[in-house]
Amino acid sequence: MKIRAIELTNLRRFAGQRARIEGIGDGISVLSQPNEFGKSTFFDGLHALFFQPHRSAKAPVKALQPHAGGAPEAAVEIDLPEGRFRLEKRWLSRATARVLDASGRLIAQEDEAEAWIDRLIGQDLAGPSGLLWVRQGVLGMEPEGASAAEKSERERALHARRDLLSSVAGEIEMMTGGRRMDQVLARVNDALAKLATTTLRPRAGGEWARAVDEAATLAEQRAGLEVKAARLGTDLRQRTAITRDLAQCADPTARAREVEALTAAEQTLTSAERHAEQMAKAEGELRLARLSAGQGAEAISRLQQLQARLARAGIERDKAQQALTESEAVAQAAAGQEAEAVTRHETAREELQTLANRLDRAQRAQLALAARDRAASLAVEYERAERQRAAAEAHRADRSLLKVTRALLDLAEKAQAARDRLALQDEARLVSVRLNYQGEARVMIDGRPLPADGLRLRGATGLDLPGIGRMTIDPGLSAESDLAAQLVRADEALARALAACAAPSIAHARKALAETERLDAAIRQADDMLKELAPDGMAALQTCLAEARAAANGVEADPGEDAVQLQEALRVARDTEATALTLRREAETRHATLRETRAAREAALQSAEQALAAVQAEAGDAVDLAARLQNLTAAQPALAQAEAEATETLARLTADAPDLATAQAAVSRLRSVVEGRRRDLARLQSDLAGVNGSIGALADEGIEEALDELRGREATAAARAARYEREVKSLARLRSALDEARRAAREAYFSPVLREIDPLLSILHPGAALRIDDTSLLPTILTRAGQDEALDILSGGTREQLAILTRLAFARLFARSGRRVPMILDDALVHSDDDRIEAMFTALHRVAQDQQIIVLTCRQRAFAPLGGERLVARVEGA
Amino acid sequence: MSYSFLHSSDLHLGRAYGGFPEDIRGRLREARHTVITRLAAAARGAGAADVLLAGDTFDAETPSPETLRHALRAMAAEADIRWVLMPGNHDSLAASELWRRIKADSPSNLLVLTEASPVALAPGVWLLPAPCTQRRPGRDLTDAMSAATPEGAIRIGLGHGAIMDFTSDEGSAGIIPPDRAQLSGLDYLGLGDWHGRMQIGPATWYSGTPEADGFKHDTAPGALAVRIAASGAPAQAGMVPTGQFQWLRPALDLLPGEDTAARLSDILPPDARRRDTLLRVEAAGRLTLAERAGFEAQLAAIAPDFGWFDSDLSRLTTEVKADDLDLIDRGGALRRAADALLSETADQALAQADRDLAELALSRLYALVQEVGV
Repeated sequence: MKIRAIELTNLRRFAGQRARIEGIGDGISVLSQPNEFGKSTFFDGLHALFFQPHRSAKAPVKALQPHAGGAPEAAVEIDLPEGRFRLEKRWLSRATARVLDASGRLIAQEDEAEAWIDRLIGQDLAGPSGLLWVRQGVLGMEPEGASAAEKSERERALHARRDLLSSVAGEIEMMTGGRRMDQVLARVNDALAKLATTTLRPRAGGEWARAVDEAATLAEQRAGLEVKAARLGTDLRQRTAITRDLAQCADPTARAREVEALTAAEQTLTSAERHAEQMAKAEGELRLARLSAGQGAEAISRLQQLQARLARAGIERDKAQQALTESEAVAQAAAGQEAEAVTRHETAREELQTLANRLDRAQRAQLALAARDRAASLAVEYERAERQRAAAEAHRADRSLLKVTRALLDLAEKAQAARDRLALQDEARLVSVRLNYQGEARVMIDGRPLPADGLRLRGATGLDLPGIGRMTIDPGLSAESDLAAQLVRADEALARALAACAAPSIAHARKALAETERLDAAIRQADDMLKELAPDGMAALQTCLAEARAAANGVEADPGEDAVQLQEALRVARDTEATALTLRREAETRHATLRETRAAREAALQSAEQALAAVQAEAGDAVDLAARLQNLTAAQPALAQAEAEATETLARLTADAPDLATAQAAVSRLRSVVEGRRRDLARLQSDLAGVNGSIGALADEGIEEALDELRGREATAAARAARYEREVKSLARLRSALDEARRAAREAYFSPVLREIDPLLSILHPGAALRIDDTSLLPTILTRAGQDEALDILSGGTREQLAILTRLAFARLFARSGRRVPMILDDALVHSDDDRIEAMFTALHRVAQDQQIIVLTCRQRAFAPLGGERLVARVEGA
Repeated sequence: MSYSFLHSSDLHLGRAYGGFPEDIRGRLREARHTVITRLAAAARGAGAADVLLAGDTFDAETPSPETLRHALRAMAAEADIRWVLMPGNHDSLAASELWRRIKADSPSNLLVLTEASPVALAPGVWLLPAPCTQRRPGRDLTDAMSAATPEGAIRIGLGHGAIMDFTSDEGSAGIIPPDRAQLSGLDYLGLGDWHGRMQIGPATWYSGTPEADGFKHDTAPGALAVRIAASGAPAQAGMVPTGQFQWLRPALDLLPGEDTAARLSDILPPDARRRDTLLRVEAAGRLTLAERAGFEAQLAAIAPDFGWFDSDLSRLTTEVKADDLDLIDRGGALRRAADALLSETADQALAQADRDLAELALSRLYALVQEVGV
């Protein structure tokens, strides 16, 4: 279907008028008119013609009525494959609906006409207002209002889209599973949600988690009980072992055997101990014999040694005496050599001292001569310095009397100049009165005649005119009386300035300043001279002078010796004295050493004599000593015989001795066996009591029954958990299969419209893609640069463009299904910028190759680049 | 000279049944306790005054004091019956504490056999017990049954253990010689350990447990009432039922097209017995998606009838055809998902676990689609 003409009569904006657009072409046709022209009225009239029954009096119809009232009418001429037709409707008053063919023949009217139009809508214009017709101000994909009409329009558009998509891609319900798929998925999700988290882990509080937790809890309890059961088993086995050991331990036969063995061992031990006592006695006798023999031999040896020591002590004493005698002779010779060396050294030292004294005197005489010259020179300098100091002091005294400075003089001169200026001003304003008498009479003032040179009046002055009277002359200076005060102040200032200069006048002050400068120069010159002569001050110069004089005056008479020669003689004398000193030291050292040697030998002699005396005291009488030695030697053979007999006795006993250690070990071992059995009995009885207690306590708990129950419950819980896990896995598998199937179905379902949208979208947004919602069957997501953006957060311009592109895509789908439906844009693209709007124009032209598009716009300049066929609306009286 | 007694074993008093829900667990334990009373009644019914228990009277080596005390009190209450108690492998002599306590608290009508030596039960009637010394003694304890008894006496052996290795299905040879009765000149050899009733030889019997405790054995639980007319005469042994619970493990081999409800109904016990029945249905074979869903619904419907109910469908495969998938959807995403899952179930490149998972998911999808309807 293509619209060729639209005609509105008495419809809203066109009250009492007929407005007509005709000559609408196949591609893009543009009606560009300013605001308030009535473009939207054409849109609404066209919409009502197709969708509002002629008998309707609903709000949308009433909205078509102009303020002036009357019945609104709309007509449209369309081309169908069967030919051209004219559809007419009139609402509200004498409502009619008619369908005419190209020849004006009435095809249908009233209800038949409505049915004819409905069929047309059903076949061709399904949902054009929402689907392909873009009303003014609609930004989104479909009308957004909440009114019943807008809802109805949305619903109609949805049906149209569904119908269109179903016609090109199948029934959506069938493809995506529709409500059944939703319900199945919901049940799967519900079942999963009850059991598992989104990551398919057991959901807290769910049956699966409860089963898992219960299995874990039971496993923990079981592990605890197994520990106890193991302990019980161990205890039972231990009790069996203890009982067995106890029986063995308490065996009376074994115990009797052990006692008998112990008794025998103890008898053996007693016998062995007796033999050991005999051996000990024999050993004692042997030790005694050996001791007696040893003591005799020892006494002989001791007496023999004493004799030898006595002889050695006498020899040592004689040697010491000899050495002392030799040492005394050598020491005496060394003493003489020492005395001679001392004498030679003392002589050399005295000669050295004499030479040193002479050299000192000669040197001091030379110094005195130099000091005298210096004292004379310093005296001259001191005198000159003193003169300069006195001159400077006198200049400073004079200078201190002068106060004037260059600045003070400048101030005084300025004060003088100011005062002179005021005096001249004052002088200039005085009234001068001078009389040239011709008679005798004289004018009197204050009783005296007026001065001959006249009078200068500063204020009112009374003159006595003899014979005439008194005349008062007032110069009228009262208004300027301040000048006098200024003059007084100037005088005072001048006086202060001169006083500061300590001068009576400016001339004096200038003279005083010259004198001041002269004195300052003289002081500086005297100070410079003084600093030159006495750089460290007069006192220091005076001290130097005193020292020089003292040095000059304190010198003895010049001895007249050559100091240089004396110094050489002194050096020789020093060498001689040093050599003598060395020899002296050597002689002294040697003498001291010899003295020490002699003392040592004296001590050695004394020690030898003491040793000899000690040995003599120990030995006693020498004869008696020899007798004792002889007696002892004679007794030795008898002692040796006794020792040999004792040795033989001991050897015989040793050969017959039993093994005492073995006997003791045997007794010890057997006693430990008996004791061990006793201890084992006690321990086993104690252990048995302990194990019995433990077994009793554990047995009371019925551990094995509880363990058996826990194992069963744990296995049941684990099996239940496994079943739930399997259930979750199967549900998850089912869900993924359903999701995948639905996703694939959606892709298949929406691919036709996406195929149409994509090339259009790439004109504005290269590389972008739209995702279609399977409920609204409209794009809801724009994907650009990999980022998903919901359409409702995009800018108004972008939303508007995407809405139109979507309609263009649907229009192309209509065309592909053989149903060419006109597309109407009423003041669309109001939010688009210049670049985008041109891109949209390109998109419109791309679609317009096989699609009729009617554009109504008030933006004449902006839509100029759209091109297309320009429409003209003619308005005339109805 | 004739002598009658009741031969029983494997009471396993105190068994915990931890793998079962709490309510049935309590009932099962109680049934094991009350079997003492039923054994006493069975003995009286058989004209016997002695009940010979061939081991494993207690399930644990150290049963709880309550279990032990209740058992001894129940035996004492049956004052006209003499209880002859011999250690088995579960309550062997290694459980010294158990036997110490039993002896310490033994009622007068209890005879405890802890020695492998002949015991005179009645004039001319000698019991030759072979009490278990350990859980696994590792030797033939029944050798002791060859001990001498007075000439002409009735010799009754009482032992516990395996003639066959009952822990394996193949039944490898055990320790007790099958011809022990003949070897030791026994008129009757009463054995314990095997929970099902079994006759080994003319005079050798396993009595089985008087109260079933698992699905392993198909024989009805009970005791053997034995009568020996005289030494050398053949022993007459007859089964006396004593069990309260029955443990059933019926198998169903199903094929598509079968009436699963009818097949199921055929194997179920009468309604009146169901409360005391533990039932585990083991299904095998294959069913279509719809049949399987229906079968599972039938199982779910009968489950509450039983004291305990379980089903093992691991060997029941689901046969899925295109028509079955049409019941999910004829096209669209649901059908696409079903096709994908079905494809996985037959994908040999996948692990068996993954194929099973896909089959489970497909069954679940089918069930959910049926739930939500068209």
